[in-house]
Amino acid sequence: MIQVALVLVILAALAAVQTRYLRHGVIYLGLFSLGIAFVYLLYNAPDVALAEAIIGSTLSTVLFIVALQKYKIFTIYYRVSGEDAGQDAASQSVIKSLEKFCTKQELEAQIIYTTEPIADIVENHQFSIIMNKQNMQYDVFIHENNYKIDALKTYLSQELPSINVKILED
Amino acid sequence: MSDHSQLLSRSIGIIYPIILIFGLYVIFNGHVTPGGGFQGGAIIGAIMIAKYLADPIPFLSLEWTQSVEKATLLILYVLAALFCIVTTLQIVVGHFTIFLILSNTLIGLKVACGMSIIINRFVYYETR
Repeated sequence: MIQVALVLVILAALAAVQTRYLRHGVIYLGLFSLGIAFVYLLYNAPDVALAEAIIGSTLSTVLFIVALQKYKIFTIYYRVSGEDAGQDAASQSVIKSLEKFCTKQELEAQIIYTTEPIADIVENHQFSIIMNKQNMQYDVFIHENNYKIDALKTYLSQELPSINVKILED
Repeated sequence: MSDHSQLLSRSIGIIYPIILIFGLYVIFNGHVTPGGGFQGGAIIGAIMIAKYLADPIPFLSLEWTQSVEKATLLILYVLAALFCIVTTLQIVVGHFTIFLILSNTLIGLKVACGMSIIINRFVYYETR
């Protein structure tokens, strides 16, 4: 029994270190805490196990997730072509609306104006969404792994139904 | 976690009192079974997190919680000193259980207040 629990703990610890997403790392850390609490219980230390289960898997997990939520920066790449610098009223109102979305979701909006083609942005930069304006038609590109994808879709369909949301795949 | 989930808030509303009773059980039974003031206090502090997940509106004022915590710490110190004096002078012999339950309760209250302050401060006030 104890060997199984110890192997589980080691696996959870390795997964927490090796994962690509911080959010998954936090969940693995909670799993690690639960496993180690069980190991303490098997070693006849129920007091420590109780404290570990409460502090490790409840309080710290939620605090980490809240911290991630709070300090998230939402990077918006606004792609402009040569003659249009994105300063006209229509573009500004679209950007305002996206900033409102970020405030609603407790995100920090960071807007970057660029003239690079979309393929280059996808290849070289860390982005959350890419705005593209073409013949008065706005397109929003969002990566399929972005966890705000559903929230953004719902928000845009309510506030700005003219914008198309396009999903980038890996 | 600004998205308000009906499912989450309903289910938390149901398990909320059960967590509270479990926390109180751990505190009051701490001297005979595993657990004690710290663990029970942490369980009660976890209610704050459940409350935050259900609907994120602060419901305990920081000043009030801080005053309760300080008062509890003071009473705990006084109790410990009193117990030392009483047992060395042998005015009252025995009654360890009453002392244990009393100090566990005070520790539980203090830890619950401390956890609430940390969570309150962190999730509601701490921004950039």
